[in-house]
Amino acid sequence: MRARNWELISLVPAALLVSAGFAAVYIQRANQLETVSLIYGAVFLGLCLGAHIFIRVTLPHADPFIFPLVAVLACYGLVMIYRIDGATEARVQAQWFVIGLLLFAATIVWFRDYRRLENYRYLIMTGSVVLLLLPRVPGLGVYSGGAYLAIHLPGITFQPPEFAKVGVVIFLSSYLRDHRQALASGRRILGYRIPPLKHLGPLLALWGAAMLALVVIGDIGSSLMFYGALLAIVYVATDRISFVIFGMLAFGLGSWFLATHIPHIDARIQDWLHPFNPALYSAPLGSYQLANAQFAMAAGGLFGQGFGQTLLYIPGTTNALIPFPSTDMIFSVITGDLGLFGAAGLLVTYLLFISRGFKAAMLARDSFSKLLAVGLSTVIAVQVFVIVGGVARVIPFTGVPLPFVAYGGSSILANFVLVALLLLISDRARRPLSDA
Amino acid sequence: MLQPVSVGLKLGFLIVLYLFLVWVAASTLFDLRRGLRGGGGSTVPVGEATSIHQTVDPMALLGDEEFEPRLVVEHASGHEPGVAYDLMEPVTLGRGDVELKLEDPFASTRHASITRHGRTLVLEDLGSTNGTYLNGEPVSGPQPLHVGDRIRIGDSEFTYLQ
Repeated sequence: MRARNWELISLVPAALLVSAGFAAVYIQRANQLETVSLIYGAVFLGLCLGAHIFIRVTLPHADPFIFPLVAVLACYGLVMIYRIDGATEARVQAQWFVIGLLLFAATIVWFRDYRRLENYRYLIMTGSVVLLLLPRVPGLGVYSGGAYLAIHLPGITFQPPEFAKVGVVIFLSSYLRDHRQALASGRRILGYRIPPLKHLGPLLALWGAAMLALVVIGDIGSSLMFYGALLAIVYVATDRISFVIFGMLAFGLGSWFLATHIPHIDARIQDWLHPFNPALYSAPLGSYQLANAQFAMAAGGLFGQGFGQTLLYIPGTTNALIPFPSTDMIFSVITGDLGLFGAAGLLVTYLLFISRGFKAAMLARDSFSKLLAVGLSTVIAVQVFVIVGGVARVIPFTGVPLPFVAYGGSSILANFVLVALLLLISDRARRPLSDA
Repeated sequence: MLQPVSVGLKLGFLIVLYLFLVWVAASTLFDLRRGLRGGGGSTVPVGEATSIHQTVDPMALLGDEEFEPRLVVEHASGHEPGVAYDLMEPVTLGRGDVELKLEDPFASTRHASITRHGRTLVLEDLGSTNGTYLNGEPVSGPQPLHVGDRIRIGDSEFTYLQ
């Protein structure tokens, strides 16, 4: 039980973070906010405690670090969203956390033996592909910023790729569990083992699918997310770095070809390379958002300007200086408010979370669990890289949600399912053998 | 007027965050130093970059869940389809004097073996002439079995269940 007590104590920092963050925001903007919204912070902490008790009962041996790290990330998100739009978005976000934690509990109960998921792998894969294609259905999809990433139903906007990423990882883990041996074998040609074509075929098909996703969805970020998970699982399954190198070359070539042939991807790259070019800055859907995010982050300095100090609107008007501050651009607002230290702290939290995921993979006793844990951790890692790299202009910008932090229901729900699976894997892996 | 409080809260936020991160990192390091052991004491296989090829845990004992590893005959001459053979003890398959006798012209005298390591069953080809196939792929080296795996030797086919 030592591990579970550790988990309980680690919720104290999360409580302190939420209290300090909410108090700071409240002081800054007391005239615009009602005290009622402070209750959401308290409710969130109560929920974390409830989730902890639930884990204590159902998964007594699970990794004790994973849940507190997720709680800190969620606190970060809740404080920032409260600071950006305390009136409505913070309330909606808090509601999504409630639903997310319920789904988290449901996943743990339903998939107690998550290896059952393997029986449904083709169904899961088909479902994921359908989810990915839904945004292209006329009248249902939302076209924003050159990409089809969301669908609109009466009342809610829904982001299918977030759920699809969990499904794709489950499928890949199960599929490669069965085929890894064949992929690792093969004839040696020029010092490299070339797998038999019939086994390489499905991998080439997956590469093609990632490229197709790029064209159909129009989004490098999401396809990079799926592709990164694919390469990580293939690497762990076959233990051959050459697959990763060839895979990255293939993805690079494919993206380069598409970038030079598809106008809106090329426009994204121009925005990335020259955000301060006046023509691009003033163009509709140009580099306005990205350029202003650079200024916001620069203004943050080492320790930040303080909660609520980053300018989101042009003073005296309601015109956005940084469009989408709570979704696409939340990382730039965090950096502006809390500076380099705040942003680095957030990234270290992600790093530790991902390292705990890999640790669960190392301890897991069967191949499917290993591959699944690696895939789920990698998908989060690549997602953070894609959005933070995009905001910080390391790579062209694409709007994927910052996991657990950015505003948005589907992202929270899907990521809680992901965390539930990681905890299930880790519980099975760390269970003492005598009562296994 | 409230400026100092606000700055204090911001720095407090950062300090709490970093203390938490240092704490988690230190505990993680401690966790690693305990000889790469998990909560239960399953040892992590070392030696391979990804360690997945060694999923066998010889320490693993049997537990509360039902665990009856068995080989079900799909079709094999001399065996009733649907008959299950217990795999709790090591089993050798082949044409010779072995635990599971195959009347199959393509089987070698000692063709393949299935051994139990805790809760993991491992299939190994014993240098047969015509090879052992796991889910349609030729087996090379020890292979852990999973529920539903199809094992084929010559014209004989079995399904692994547990």
